[in-house]
Amino acid sequence: MSVLKPLDKLPALNTATGLLVGTEDALLQQLADSMLKEDCASELRVHLAKSLPLPSNVNRPRIDLIVFVINLHSKYSLQHVQESLRHVDASFFLGRVCFLSTGAGQEHHCSIHRNTVLKLAHTYRSPLLFCDLEVEDFRATMAQRLVRMLLVCAGHVPGVSALSLLSLLRSSETPPPEEL
Amino acid sequence: MEQLLQEQAAAESADSGEAGGAGGLLQVAGAQEARSDDRMTLLLRLRAQTKQQLLEYKSMIDANEEKTPEQIMQEKQIEAKIEDLENEIEEVKIALEMKNLTLASVLMDDMKHILKLNKLIMKSQQESWELEEKLLDVRKKRLQLKQASESKLLEIQTEKNKQKEDLDNVENSDKIKTMQQNLQKEIQITTVIQHVFQNLILGSKTNWAEDSALKETVLQLEKNLTMI
Repeated sequence: MSVLKPLDKLPALNTATGLLVGTEDALLQQLADSMLKEDCASELRVHLAKSLPLPSNVNRPRIDLIVFVINLHSKYSLQHVQESLRHVDASFFLGRVCFLSTGAGQEHHCSIHRNTVLKLAHTYRSPLLFCDLEVEDFRATMAQRLVRMLLVCAGHVPGVSALSLLSLLRSSETPPPEEL
Repeated sequence: MEQLLQEQAAAESADSGEAGGAGGLLQVAGAQEARSDDRMTLLLRLRAQTKQQLLEYKSMIDANEEKTPEQIMQEKQIEAKIEDLENEIEEVKIALEMKNLTLASVLMDDMKHILKLNKLIMKSQQESWELEEKLLDVRKKRLQLKQASESKLLEIQTEKNKQKEDLDNVENSDKIKTMQQNLQKEIQITTVIQHVFQNLILGSKTNWAEDSALKETVLQLEKNLTMI
């Protein structure tokens, strides 16, 4: 399939599936491990991908949440993510997509400006999270947050839908004007 | 390039499954009960999940029914429209929250009222229970008194019966019989003597009515001794 669509398959019982897209394999792996270590009553599955589109020969369950991991140190990861975004159906962005940027702590290594990522997230109306994935504590906290988001997007939390979570996560700051 | 990671989350059923291996029937029974409880919680959770997922699918279907505007708009216009829609969502959410709050406050009043009434009910029930207890005590006492009087009357009756029996016995005893026979014989003898004396006096052809002492004797001899 060339375009990822949300809710295109029936959900598996008690299972929530997340997809991490990013070029940094090691970071993705570590993040996925932290997420799976989280204690929750539902079964978690985490898929990793370097870029979309995903190969269509694999039989996979429906994806509940896509996390695009952008490394602020490399322009390559941003390019990859932007290319992959084209293979995601528009209805995914109603709360089932999240951007995660890592590496903002080391200012002198950053080749992507923070505003770029902010604008990207604003364009796609999706929440943007900052986290230094190399530090284990931050990674564990971020994994917790992601697991909770995943559960909400999978419909395991009664009373909270992905869209309501999206409006809750909406940041009040508008992206700075382009002069900056 | 895709990797797959999977984990069997620490579901409670896995834990209690191991507990069944321990020895002792009691432990196995307890583990089985825990497992059925876990199954119940799992089922309830699955039910909630399915409900939520169904709601999401339904809302997707409803959303897809809306016609998307076909005209190609400027990016700024699109942005403005998107923001308007987002604000609409926010306002609807806020209105919903306000409604919930007002409902909750009305509910609170009713709940307080209900609590008061419940307290009153409990008090009255307590009082009525105490009164019933007292009634029960009085009834018990009455029953006891009745039983005592019953036993006393029974005693009296047995006593009376005994007395009657004794009397009968006494009457039927042989001594009495012989005494009665003797009495009868004496009476007969005396009657014969009476008759003899009567005939003596009458045979002497004297006028016994003139002499008071003789009159008295004759009259006395007339007495029927069996009547005494």
